[in-house]
Amino acid sequence: MPDTLSEVVPTECMEVVLHVWDYLDDQLTAEATTTLRAHIIVCPECYAFQSFQRGFLDALAGLRRPQRAPWRVKARVLASLAEAGLRTH
Amino acid sequence: MKDQDAAFEREALPWIDDVYRFALSLTRDESDADDVVQDTFLRAYRSWHTYLPGSDCRRWLFTICRNVFLRSRERARPTVELDATDVDAAAVGSVYATAAREGFEDIFSRLDLVPAINDALDKVPEPFRSALIIVDVEDQSYESAAEMLGVPIGTVRSRLFRGRRLMQEQLLTYAIDAGFAPRSACVEQRRNA
Repeated sequence: MPDTLSEVVPTECMEVVLHVWDYLDDQLTAEATTTLRAHIIVCPECYAFQSFQRGFLDALAGLRRPQRAPWRVKARVLASLAEAGLRTH
Repeated sequence: MKDQDAAFEREALPWIDDVYRFALSLTRDESDADDVVQDTFLRAYRSWHTYLPGSDCRRWLFTICRNVFLRSRERARPTVELDATDVDAAAVGSVYATAAREGFEDIFSRLDLVPAINDALDKVPEPFRSALIIVDVEDQSYESAAEMLGVPIGTVRSRLFRGRRLMQEQLLTYAIDAGFAPRSACVEQRRNA
């Protein structure tokens, strides 16, 4: 893949650059997905580019950790709700 | 116990852990998150009559949570929307070109980058950060994010793309400045070991 986009980039590669996130987010039509995937499979540069982007999204998804609200928060919430009129078991 | 109280206890309260995590992602501060969660559930209880039974209660609570967060920061929603999705999409090509040139093609899979990813997310300005948290971290669809943020799906997409690009640029700069070893150097090191 060329260093800058001002250089000549093959149309198929440019499509991958422009739509890789739509592709990874499953936002493309079935036809567009098939077209992009077909090119990514045969183009090593676009495959590497797509892997780079997928790695980034995986890293972001990795920030999601099961996290429980501390007891102090639950106590505060329940207390304020009770004050507002909520009657619980 | 009133029926509506029972319904609130059954459908809304079990989401407190998720709402807390979401609030913490937005505020990046435990004390602020505590306040936001409390206010979220209070507002949710007071407007429980507007909740559509059987709909996605978690999404409904997230929407309230984000509004509470924005209000707490006294930030009005931006009135100018960026329409530069293609520019952002094209820019990721340049970010990748730099990463490849520096030997950082696999930078995002490195465990030592995790703290930097957290920091980078923290530095992404609103409204882009909320889009990243909702879609990329909380794994919500574009449609859900659009509903939570009160914007069209196209706006979610453009905010998301801008946020991702900003994060990638920050992380790449960090990796270069921090002297992370490029992949080629690691491969060479393993060969020599």
